[in-house]
Amino acid sequence: MLRLSEALQAQINAQGAAAYPYEGCGLLLGHTNGEENVVTGLFPVENQWEVEEEKRERFQITPEDMFAAEVAAMNQGVDIIGIYHSHPDHDPVASPRDLAWATWPGYSYLITEVRDGQPGESRSWQLQRDRSGFEEEKIEIRD
Amino acid sequence: MATIRIPTPLRPYAGNKSSVNVKGNTAGAALEALAQDYPDLRQHLFDGKQLRSFVNVYLNEEDIRYLNGAETAIGEQDTLMIIPSIAGGRGAREVVS
Repeated sequence: MLRLSEALQAQINAQGAAAYPYEGCGLLLGHTNGEENVVTGLFPVENQWEVEEEKRERFQITPEDMFAAEVAAMNQGVDIIGIYHSHPDHDPVASPRDLAWATWPGYSYLITEVRDGQPGESRSWQLQRDRSGFEEEKIEIRD
Repeated sequence: MATIRIPTPLRPYAGNKSSVNVKGNTAGAALEALAQDYPDLRQHLFDGKQLRSFVNVYLNEEDIRYLNGAETAIGEQDTLMIIPSIAGGRGAREVVS
């Protein structure tokens, strides 16, 4: 399960809308509590996919940005617990590309659809332990 | 012994530790020692004998790709960080489990 506040979900929605028609992305910071990933902050980053036009359907977070996020997390006493990105004009469902390039089980992959520039539904996914696919996890949003 | 900081999702495979001390005089040797000490970590770090393509290793604050790669020398006071590069995006066809 992924827990986050309404304010953080709103921030993710706003970033996705601002990035439209490209994909927006960032890291989820927080802590893990058993099977729950609890988000306490965000580390937004620029979509660094190299080909501008392909940013409509692809995103990349560089090791340099990931390192900066790790340092920020350490300084805040939290961890990187997941990745968020937007799907412009597409369902918030983990794609073959998300699977092919997935990293490790345990991270939450939070995907937000943005249609015609308006943020919509978010769904969250985790890589299965055998890396064969994603399984959806429940999202709990609190004030 | 150098220190390797373990990314959050890999800690369950490393005794729930956030960092571990490992033997080895190079970054490559340290990572191999890590995988030997915690065998369940291996599949998440290595694809065969090579590091998985998304796995990057930082020595203190530098990516070892820009140093001497796996042969980068490390000392007892050094810290290695395992940093993934992340990519993805929507696809024409959705494939989930």
